[in-house]
Amino acid sequence: MEVGDCYIGWATDEDIRTRGASGGLVTAMLAAALEKGLVEAVVVLKKLGEFEAVPVVTSDPEEVKAAAGSMHSVPIVLSRYLDYGTKVALPAKPCDARSTIEQAKRGQVDIDTTYIVGLNCGGTMHPAVTRDMLDVMYKLDPADIEGEEIDKGKLIFETKDGKEHAIKIDELEEEGYGRRESCQYCDVNIPTMADIACGNWGVIGDLAGKGTFVEINTEKGIEILKNAIDAGAVEITPADDKGKAIRAKVDGAMMNVAAAANKKYLSPIEGSHLDYYMNALSDCINCGACKTVCPVCACGEGAKCTDFSSASDTYKMSLFHLVRFVHLMDSCIGCGQCTDVCPVDIPLTHIYQRFAVPMQEEFEYKPGMDMTTPPFFGVDLIEEGH
Amino acid sequence: MAEVTEEWQPKIVMFCCNWCSYGGADSAGMGRFQQPPTVRVIRVMCSGRMDPVFILNAFLEGADGVIFSGCHIGDCHYVNGNYKATVKYKFLKAMVNELGLEDERLKLDWISASEGERYAEVVTEFTEQIKKVGPSPLKPEGVI
Repeated sequence: MEVGDCYIGWATDEDIRTRGASGGLVTAMLAAALEKGLVEAVVVLKKLGEFEAVPVVTSDPEEVKAAAGSMHSVPIVLSRYLDYGTKVALPAKPCDARSTIEQAKRGQVDIDTTYIVGLNCGGTMHPAVTRDMLDVMYKLDPADIEGEEIDKGKLIFETKDGKEHAIKIDELEEEGYGRRESCQYCDVNIPTMADIACGNWGVIGDLAGKGTFVEINTEKGIEILKNAIDAGAVEITPADDKGKAIRAKVDGAMMNVAAAANKKYLSPIEGSHLDYYMNALSDCINCGACKTVCPVCACGEGAKCTDFSSASDTYKMSLFHLVRFVHLMDSCIGCGQCTDVCPVDIPLTHIYQRFAVPMQEEFEYKPGMDMTTPPFFGVDLIEEGH
Repeated sequence: MAEVTEEWQPKIVMFCCNWCSYGGADSAGMGRFQQPPTVRVIRVMCSGRMDPVFILNAFLEGADGVIFSGCHIGDCHYVNGNYKATVKYKFLKAMVNELGLEDERLKLDWISASEGERYAEVVTEFTEQIKKVGPSPLKPEGVI
């Protein structure tokens, strides 16, 4: 087994294989890592309902197995849950993985003891918006929903009476429903920055729906997969070229859609920029929720943005946000959580991205993709030959 | 926005590093180089100490322009503080532009302790620039 190898794998346990998505490989791998003592803790999503889940840290393999089945949740701030250096395995969407890497660069997470199990992601949906959408677009009662699925550009909901209700995602997004705005423009679908990238894209033939496509990205990725094979929890077979091509094609198609959305999303502001920003931020009540959920912020308590500003100092614009604009220019991954939590509905992610994207493009730097590029404010300039 | 009259004098906040630019301001005074009285000098130990929060706060409190200045590249008293200042300047400049503040309102310059004349020149030039663009749109009401 080498870095760069691709496999298709599934859980050996019948129960996990049927309950988990795409053969339950990830669930089996995480449970095996705990059982064999490779890690001390695993982060799993605990379902609160059909549309909501919360991340929990557990050391109980049974709880990991109970969490089988795919579920989308917002990116988490790993360092808030765990002490530095805890051996942990983390199933992660690309944004989770990127935020964890950014945290590691800022000394909050020990990357050497964190096994990032990446999951392909085509977008997430906001629970409240989904309920609203079911009511308005599908004319369904949210309580009747049993499952959801995305297939051929359509979002399908299955009700308890066994019927399927499908509407095109494009149609939903035009109406302001569907995926979260930040997911519509996100162009990282395959977590190449994670230790191991898993997903159902590229699983073809007899295995379709029953296996998970796995790409190994690092030595740690080999370690966690080998551990699961040695424990007898998973079986793998090498992926063929056709599967790889299909996976790349799906990814390419998603990226094109994202690029188009991004163009629309970051279209130039008409009129005065200052008026636009003043207007947008004038509703801010200085609650600080956007900073609290920010997955790349490593300042903790006593951060510059909060300590140097108060509502009474906010003459024409919020200093809190001005500081955060500069601060996030080299690290904003556009995950969309600040917009989600804002109690006065300021499109914060949108605004932060307007500042961050041009700068990141200028430096040809994408935050959270690898450990080699440091945060720019901490750049070691001596090495650059000065 | 306050009305611009012939007499309007901009308010400029200038952050000078202790070892070079602050000395430069001293030499400008001792050498009797004429300069407009628009600048409020704040001394910091090094241009690398300049935090974006200082500059943003200066604008919000009513500054029409902000200069920060330090030792010439290679002469930093703390080895590489002024390189760090250039990185922050780059980010700040991009941010201030996107925000919609005029490009002329923020400036980074290097002035050594012996360059009194240059200090006066920089201040005069910058004041002229700010006079052209007028009062800052971020100036709170009631601040002259």
